[in-house]
Amino acid sequence: MQSVRADSDAALVRRVLAGDAEAYAGLVARYQERLSRYAFRMLGNSADAEEAVQDAFVRGYRSLARCTDAERFGAWLFGIMVNRCRTLGGQRARRHGLVTEDDGAVQRASVAHPEERAALRDAIDRAVAQLKPEQREAFLLKHVEELSYDEMADLTGMSVSALKMRVARARERLQQLLEEDLGV
Amino acid sequence: MSERDRRLEEAITRLREPVDVDPALQERVMRAVRTTPAPRRWVRPVWAAAAWIRRPRTVRVSPLQGLAAAAVLAAVWVGVGVVRPGATPPGTPDLGVASAGNAVQFVIVAPDADAVALVGDFNDWRGDVTPMSRAEGNGVWSVTVPLEPGRYRYAFLVDGGLWVSDPSAPPAPDDEFERPGSVVTVGET
Repeated sequence: MQSVRADSDAALVRRVLAGDAEAYAGLVARYQERLSRYAFRMLGNSADAEEAVQDAFVRGYRSLARCTDAERFGAWLFGIMVNRCRTLGGQRARRHGLVTEDDGAVQRASVAHPEERAALRDAIDRAVAQLKPEQREAFLLKHVEELSYDEMADLTGMSVSALKMRVARARERLQQLLEEDLGV
Repeated sequence: MSERDRRLEEAITRLREPVDVDPALQERVMRAVRTTPAPRRWVRPVWAAAAWIRRPRTVRVSPLQGLAAAAVLAAVWVGVGVVRPGATPPGTPDLGVASAGNAVQFVIVAPDADAVALVGDFNDWRGDVTPMSRAEGNGVWSVTVPLEPGRYRYAFLVDGGLWVSDPSAPPAPDDEFERPGSVVTVGET
């Protein structure tokens, strides 16, 4: 059996398209952490995040032949992930209102950081969950996924100008929420 | 760095931390994959047509047919030259409100303001990047910014919280924005 870990994305994509479905496991292993982090931050709880990530991977497999640049499989798959979070987030918001943070799923601040910062980190989680979904999306894509505005525009279909505005507003709102929560 | 900025940096660091991934996720995905029809390469009809057009072929042409084709091409070439005697030469610059690389001055009258900043595409709408200066003895605030040719949206941020569009400039379409803004176009020289 060939190794799936060491192959490039393009090589794995070619193997899958040639009929080797098991090669897809290499792509799943490579991207599951990034997708899980984004989904959890967007949706606010691990159950929804896991559903969205699994769904994105399966959709990615089903439509893999449409990934026209196999070298950029990661970016292409991430686009599917962003769309799944939009869809699932919208459905959940209509059903349950605001998303809520699932404390148990995040690696807790107190484990790896000093005690005195725990309050700030909890406030951060609450503040991010209170951002509007479109602001949270723009903020995460820019500052957590570290995409360029052009890459964000490709993913979201929005103009660079509007995305810059969203990121700026998300930054302002986060600062305001943290100030309300923690005091000046 | 202000306390607000420090907290924001802390938030970004926090959000970049990995989250726990269910160890069974990969196996669940692969179980679903094994029951999903294999993805197949597909060729769009347009690409198929393009490939058909690009495919080389051997064409037999008699000397008489060749001469006739050359005559038709020459007639078309002459015709094109005749019908467009006054066409604009390539490289003619577009009109614009400023020259390439020109400094663009932004001005607003805000006599009661304590602080005014310019925010826009060019500084990622950050209120702490481009503060404006107040002229002595009046309420006129201004700042000069070097801008490359292009179209920019902008606004003024008064006292850190009030967004004001430029009354002397075209308003920005608010299709994707939730705040007032204006548009400036910087043209090539």
